[in-house]
Amino acid sequence: MVGLLLQILADALLLGGVYTLMAIGLSLAFGVTRIINFAHGDIVMYGAYGAFFAFAGLNIDPLLSLPIVAILGGIGGYLLFKLSLDRILNDVSINQVLLTFGLGLILQNVAVILWTGDERSTTPAYAFDSWQFSDDIVIAKGRVIAFGIAVLFVVMLLAWLRWSELGRATRAVSQNQAAASLMGINVRAMYALSFALSSAFGTATGAIMSFLLPITPFMGFPIMVKAFAIIILGGMDSVIGTVFGAFFLAIAETAIAYLVPQGIGWAEGVAFFLLVLMLIARPTGILGTVGRDA
Amino acid sequence: MNSARAWMVIAGAIVMAIVLPHFLSPGLSELATRLSTLVLVAVSWNMMANAGLISLGHSGFWGLGAYTAALLANAIHMPFWLTVVPAMLLGGGFGVLLAYITGRLRGLFFAISTLAMAEALRVVALMVPKLTGGAEGLFVFDEIRPGRATMTSFALCLVVATVAISYFLSKSRFQYALRAMRDSESAVQMLGVNPAHFRIGVMALSGAIASCAGVISAWYTGYLDPGAAFEMRITISAQIAPLFGGLYTVSGPVIGAVTIMTLSELTRVYFGYSAGVGLLIYGIILVTGVLFMPSGVVGLYQRWRGRSKRGQVLAAGRS
Repeated sequence: MVGLLLQILADALLLGGVYTLMAIGLSLAFGVTRIINFAHGDIVMYGAYGAFFAFAGLNIDPLLSLPIVAILGGIGGYLLFKLSLDRILNDVSINQVLLTFGLGLILQNVAVILWTGDERSTTPAYAFDSWQFSDDIVIAKGRVIAFGIAVLFVVMLLAWLRWSELGRATRAVSQNQAAASLMGINVRAMYALSFALSSAFGTATGAIMSFLLPITPFMGFPIMVKAFAIIILGGMDSVIGTVFGAFFLAIAETAIAYLVPQGIGWAEGVAFFLLVLMLIARPTGILGTVGRDA
Repeated sequence: MNSARAWMVIAGAIVMAIVLPHFLSPGLSELATRLSTLVLVAVSWNMMANAGLISLGHSGFWGLGAYTAALLANAIHMPFWLTVVPAMLLGGGFGVLLAYITGRLRGLFFAISTLAMAEALRVVALMVPKLTGGAEGLFVFDEIRPGRATMTSFALCLVVATVAISYFLSKSRFQYALRAMRDSESAVQMLGVNPAHFRIGVMALSGAIASCAGVISAWYTGYLDPGAAFEMRITISAQIAPLFGGLYTVSGPVIGAVTIMTLSELTRVYFGYSAGVGLLIYGIILVTGVLFMPSGVVGLYQRWRGRSKRGQVLAAGRS
């Protein structure tokens, strides 16, 4: 029984790392622009394909291609923002939802046409390796690596937001757009920057997912839905809140998967039930400050 | 159009809807049925959008309707036309529930919660196989399924009724309250209108209509599974049709539905069943629609007809 509890704890912890990766880019872009990017899951998907082709074609390990994929993702995200969202920043939110939703559809189906719906995956040695501690505690190496990257990203993001000039400007825009503008901060440029960074985090996450999940053009949608649930649970404008949300969801899902009959199937729905419960109980999320009327 | 003329048009349309399908070829009849379901969800989606509520969960209503019809048909052999009643009650009820849960949520928070509710329903449908057949799906009791022409007539009649409801709504005080809610719910509250009442009303109506589309599809195809009944594509086409035709208008969703149906048939002819092309075109329509023609085809037409015409339309709306 103790073994089972330890296994649940370990699995939840590692899954929380994966979920943090999925949600962190989304929450950064939302915190600054107050726009939810419905194409975020598809950006993650492109990162996964990038890592896959680097691995299959050039035999580059996904962890090595990660920085390149992230840079390309950042450039792509910047262009995407400049060409589309930048034009409708002052529109009603319905247009922003529909636009990013449409962008997601385009990204997804271009991938379907280019690469078909076949499942792919990168297969570095560590993807199949695991540590066995006792009879009933097994820890997969791939997830430990994902957890490490998640910690690294969160620390990097927090440090950047705290100590760099641009990071301070980003926080200023997030807190009060008008005041930031009066202080001489170029709000639109900060929007573009945060969107580019968010896409870079997204594609980097994709490179990690390439050895954790099957890569298909449809992998983005479930990732996006999970990420929504996480940032609503944790608070949409807070990095730490996002981490809380990710671990909260991971613990709930893992516990249900292990302890409830047919739990693995039900665990899929946990995110949605938690999301609805949270909206009723505390609409700002665990650590958030943004009201739900945006 | 005055009220008497409107009723005559509706009566004529009903007669057409009943008679016409008996002269259609099987292919056209199928197209008409699918178009009907599309018009239903598009009009229903547009009603919510009208009040500033963006739904990403219309597949939830559709799936509820489809499962209600199929389960009642199998359990007590309820005839197809009667299953619409419980399906509408359930769809409307779910709309009310959603309205209560989402409370004052607006914009994208509302959108995300509708998405979550629809996905939650899909998981439930998947996880209670005793009732729904789970992932293996469910066949509708074949002996009581109506003929093709009957089904198409039925679908077209529902469309006429729905468009008529949306027309009369657009002439009512309800419409003005909804339009004001779209701009600012708190301002509406200041004027002594309780936005919660209107929100519950519009979501009940919208949910009931969207679940009708699910009923039609369940009876027409005779089979459903959680993946197909709660498919995201339903929600996508429900929002693209009004956006393309013209948001917040009566004719917009209908024009949009006909257009995207034609488009998807054309892509099927030219690209075969190759996956992705149809949805890619939907995505392009969404993006270009939002960026370049936010008032849709109807808006382009109105601009082309000039301001004087639009003045008349507004005046007619007031009388």
